[in-house]
Amino acid sequence: MASVTAEPIDTTIEVPGKRTPLVTGAHDYGTVTDAVCRLAECKTPKAWYLALGVSACLMGMLFGLIGYLIITGVGVWGNRSPVFWGWPIVNFVFWVGIGHAGTLISAILFLFRQDWRTGINRAAEAMTIFAVVCAGVFPGIHIGRVWLAYWLFPIPNQMAMWPNFRSPLLWDVFAVSTYATVSLLFWYMGMIPDLATLRDRATGKIQQFAYGLFSLGWNGSSRHWHRYERAYLLLAALAAPLVLSVHTIVSFDFAVSQLPGWHTTIFPPYFVAGAVFSGFAMVLTLMIPARKICGIEDLLTDRHLENMTKVIIATGTMVGYAYAMEFFIAWYGGNRYETFAFINRAFGPYAWAYWIMVSCNVISPQLFWIKKIRTTPWMIFVVCVFVNIGMWFERFVITVTSLSRDFLPSSWGYFKPTIVDVLMLIGSFGLFMTLFLLFCKFLPMVAMAEVKSVMPRPGGHGDH
Amino acid sequence: MATTIEQPVKTKAEPELLGFLAEFDDPNALIEASKKVRDAGYRNWDTHTPFPLHGIDEAMGIKWTILPWIVACCGLMGGTIAISMQWYMNAYDYPFLISGKPLFSIPACIPIVFELSVLLAAFGAFFGMLGLNQLPKLYNPMFKSEAFRRVTNDRFFISMDAKDAKFSEIDTGEFLKSLNPTNVEEFWSDVESPKLPRNLKLGLSIVGVLMIMPPALVAYKRSTTTNTPRVHIVPDMDFQPSLKAQNTTNVFSDGREIRPNIKGTIPRGQFKDDNIPFYYGLKYLPEDQDVVTIAVQDEKKADAKPAEDKKADAEKAPATKPAAADPAAAAAAEAKKLDELPWVTEFPMPVTAKMMARGKERYRIYCSACHGLGGEGDGLVTLRAMDLQQGTWVKPASYHTENVRKLPVGRLYHTITNGVRKMPAYGPQIPPEDRWSIVLYLKALQKSQQIDANTLPEDVKRKLRDTK
Repeated sequence: MASVTAEPIDTTIEVPGKRTPLVTGAHDYGTVTDAVCRLAECKTPKAWYLALGVSACLMGMLFGLIGYLIITGVGVWGNRSPVFWGWPIVNFVFWVGIGHAGTLISAILFLFRQDWRTGINRAAEAMTIFAVVCAGVFPGIHIGRVWLAYWLFPIPNQMAMWPNFRSPLLWDVFAVSTYATVSLLFWYMGMIPDLATLRDRATGKIQQFAYGLFSLGWNGSSRHWHRYERAYLLLAALAAPLVLSVHTIVSFDFAVSQLPGWHTTIFPPYFVAGAVFSGFAMVLTLMIPARKICGIEDLLTDRHLENMTKVIIATGTMVGYAYAMEFFIAWYGGNRYETFAFINRAFGPYAWAYWIMVSCNVISPQLFWIKKIRTTPWMIFVVCVFVNIGMWFERFVITVTSLSRDFLPSSWGYFKPTIVDVLMLIGSFGLFMTLFLLFCKFLPMVAMAEVKSVMPRPGGHGDH
Repeated sequence: MATTIEQPVKTKAEPELLGFLAEFDDPNALIEASKKVRDAGYRNWDTHTPFPLHGIDEAMGIKWTILPWIVACCGLMGGTIAISMQWYMNAYDYPFLISGKPLFSIPACIPIVFELSVLLAAFGAFFGMLGLNQLPKLYNPMFKSEAFRRVTNDRFFISMDAKDAKFSEIDTGEFLKSLNPTNVEEFWSDVESPKLPRNLKLGLSIVGVLMIMPPALVAYKRSTTTNTPRVHIVPDMDFQPSLKAQNTTNVFSDGREIRPNIKGTIPRGQFKDDNIPFYYGLKYLPEDQDVVTIAVQDEKKADAKPAEDKKADAEKAPATKPAAADPAAAAAAEAKKLDELPWVTEFPMPVTAKMMARGKERYRIYCSACHGLGGEGDGLVTLRAMDLQQGTWVKPASYHTENVRKLPVGRLYHTITNGVRKMPAYGPQIPPEDRWSIVLYLKALQKSQQIDANTLPEDVKRKLRDTK
């Protein structure tokens, strides 16, 4: 049987010439399956019900507020002249950014043959889908008359009108919906073999039916696996540029306008780096408690966490560079409005938000240079929470500071969120966590088939 | 109903052998066994593994899939759809002109082209994979084997299909046993009918039809014309209870919907009666207050009106306004009225050097384009207009003519405020203080052209000589 050495090993030590195992503990193929399926099969812990209860209440609050907004009108938000792009757009860009880590882990690391991704990719992809769901809510209700949301799509109508394809806002509609669809396909396709595992182990009638339906009759045929792997590779190759394109297009919403502080060419790469940065932080925020609660620390080792913190250092430094470069170009470009916009960001009425952003995004990831912090899960967790806060504030600073003080001092204003704004942001976390908890309970949290394929084969056959 | 029971059910046949399943617990053993099956010349067989087993493709002799070609075609299709859609919608069917940008240009199309190419290619990869694998196929006779359930967990299988040309119940079974599997078993066809129950199909089709009906009705309503008002599910602001101007109502005793101002109402920022000289340039307001907003009309412009319009004007206002029939006479009448007003001749505020500097700056911003820096009526706009000789331009009068020099300051102020001939009213743009500053500077300009150089002090003379 395929089994891994039972002695506890420190997976974070680099031994030259030797590969660190991706799965620790005395695991063979069967025990990996057992470990992953346990949560779906055994009695649900009380903590899960408690967590689901709380997040479902928050989700309910979000839906209630959406109902209130639709019935009353968007005036319940703090968006008014001159800041019409307030909290909802900040939330949208924040949530879309969160999604990026999932696709990056599953697609780009797959293309680079980074086998360590197998432990985390499923949960990260799930996170992507749920984050995109949360993101989609906000522009959807931000349009004002929600019942006319179909005007965004090129559907024939009796007004004989078509949407304007030269508007980055329409590109956004296509980019985000394509991203959501492709991510969903990628996630679901990766899950088909694992759903078949759950089907074959299911005892209840309902589980057998549901897992049976969604596993599409998968029987592990090698001829099927051959096409499946090819399709997976192709989807990964398609999803990789898609990740870059989505946040690039989101940044066009800002960069194509003429507003000082938005009209900059650094936006696309800067937004993508920020998205990956916040996405990895969110993956870690979710996975550190989840691996503990679900007991999958052997599959999701400290090594995995450490690798992700290294990505966070890299992207966090890129984000810091972008902040510095924005300032430099504002000065070097000699445009007085641009210069003012950045001085105003750092020292104007929103200076508090700016400095929260800088300290969370530039300083906190640098702590990961210290190996002790990089390998201690609770410390990683704390830093990642700060990164999440910082990245939310980054979107807030970009959106609100530029709008609140543009060219004419006569049209300046100060944006204040209303209680509805704040509760909707909290509610969106409820929606996200509800979906994630349901996923943890009912779906395979770790890609079993992929983990098994990177485990050492009995008889020392190959190194994967 | 009874007749259906008596009908012979075709599927109640004897179960037949569909094939063998050989079980292995070691992936390497499976690969070795697969090579032997391949070399034995079997065609209709397969291996089943819990994860993609590397090396099995060669061991089984699996050919490369055509999936990449399907994906490439789908991607190209997506790009083509995207580019033709954008051209059709924004350049052909509903031309969308925005700030003079071209109706169709490739760079603006790229994002959508990229997104749709990726979307359709992804559909190609996913559905192409399912199609080539003939999935979903929820039912499979192998699933009845208890042992086969571990194929998605930790066991490895070879399945041998009875349809294979080389298949024989005894030989194939023996051959499989020779491969050292942990177990070999047979799998059989079903005795029960694999068909869906008839009522289920009926029920599903009824539900399907019912589900299609609402969107079909909506689509029908949206694509046809009607004489009756549409049903407004959300009325937006189509119907408002507000009163509309020019309509009658019984809410108010006078029957008017539009409400006249209450007597003595002054619009915000319009209370100027406490300083009439400053705001109007007049010593006091005349009885006919309308005259203070007169701007002498451009005679040529009035002449340029089409003949029909003039005729219509004349018919509308017959005797009471004879001026309307003759624009030139009307302009003269207006000018005459203005001449008779009690204009102030002194500045209604203290005159300072600061005011003069301000007036100079404002003059250069607002006036010099037409009137010229020296007030000769030779500004750059005037020069160009004269150059083009289009005939609609009235050359501004020089400030240094006898007539203009004699105008009282109040009248000059009035002209800036309300305009004259081609010159539009600058009142809305320039605050009163600045208008007076400009008048002051204008007076200084006039004075500068009327002074005998010999009366100037010596240092000013020298300065003038130097700057010549």
